[in-house]
Amino acid sequence: MEKTKSDESRLNNWVSLGFKLGIAVSLALVVIGLIILLSLSGAKGIQPLVRLEQIPAAIVISVGILILLLTPIIQVIVAIVLFSIARNRLFLGISIAVLCFAAISLVLALI
Amino acid sequence: MLLCRTTLLNELNLGLNLWALGGTGLVAGFLGSALGVGGGVLIVPILTLALHLPIHVAIASSLVAIVANSCTAAGIYTKARLTNVKLGLLLETATIPGAIIGGLAAAVIAPSILSALFGLVLLYVAYTMVTRRYLMSEDVLSADNSVAPDNTPKNLSSSLANSYYDQNLAKVVTYKVTHTPVGLGASFFAGVLSSLLGIGGGIIKVPVMNLVMGLPMKAAIATSAFMIAITTTVGALIYHYYGNIYPFIVAPLIIGVVIGARLGVELAQRARGVLLRRIFGVFLFLVALLMFLKTANVI
Repeated sequence: MEKTKSDESRLNNWVSLGFKLGIAVSLALVVIGLIILLSLSGAKGIQPLVRLEQIPAAIVISVGILILLLTPIIQVIVAIVLFSIARNRLFLGISIAVLCFAAISLVLALI
Repeated sequence: MLLCRTTLLNELNLGLNLWALGGTGLVAGFLGSALGVGGGVLIVPILTLALHLPIHVAIASSLVAIVANSCTAAGIYTKARLTNVKLGLLLETATIPGAIIGGLAAAVIAPSILSALFGLVLLYVAYTMVTRRYLMSEDVLSADNSVAPDNTPKNLSSSLANSYYDQNLAKVVTYKVTHTPVGLGASFFAGVLSSLLGIGGGIIKVPVMNLVMGLPMKAAIATSAFMIAITTTVGALIYHYYGNIYPFIVAPLIIGVVIGARLGVELAQRARGVLLRRIFGVFLFLVALLMFLKTANVI
């Protein structure tokens, strides 16, 4: 019982940390990218299309977006690792299934 | 991804209002994280109707904003032990296949039919959440609330049981998870709708977890946020691959959503579960109304 509670605690702590770290890094890059954009172009008349001088800002923001999108997937991987360490076969299997379904979904969409 | 297809060049020749985008994200993040929904039902209409973005760009931007919203909320809720991570992962095994089926079915089902059906489901759920006489007490185990036999295996039920400290009640709330097969079925349905309508699915997941599976409202909201983060990230990655995500549109949305989400989580943790449930019910009524108006081509 105590071991289960400490496993739960560890799972919650690591998953929470993962989400917070992912959001923090992503947000920092997005903010930096936006600052670069505003310093180059000002706040008015910004178009969705990226002009040549705006490429550095777009790259920084895009990396931030990618990190954001990968964060939830990384948390599933974190759960897999923690369930593996805790030898919780049921939820290890469930977590691996979630990752596999997500991968299948991506592959089907990209075909 | 930095270059756009030629066909989109004329459509996207518009000046972006960064403040409007940020404000949209702020409202969506606040409501979304407080109520355990992604916020897509707010973001897409605002981006298309008020900011005149093409629908596929609006949906792509909305999905990224939903991921930001859900991740922010999930980070805080999980630390507070509100999120039932195990239950969330279990239900995702049904949600993601549902989303795959929904994506395939989208080609053959008329969107107007879906919108109308969805509106009807929302109305029923909203009515139940606002008016149900037997309100689930947040400090009572949920076993007596069932209207149908609980088919959850005992070892699974004990694995999924959880507890958290409720700031409003100033005590530890313990609950059991029941009717897991029903929850899996509802999650599959939520996944199908998520793909078909470009939403996170929380408007199905939260009521089912609360009304059927025995989770207190706050735990249902928190677990839904965790699930939505995983479900919508797949869709967002696909849009990202096809170049429908424009960094200068998404950047202010993300900033607004993260700030709004933090405020929304604070509200959810401090508010009474019953109050959240009623707000959620009213929210569903409004969404149902929007769905019917959209079906009738009024909006």
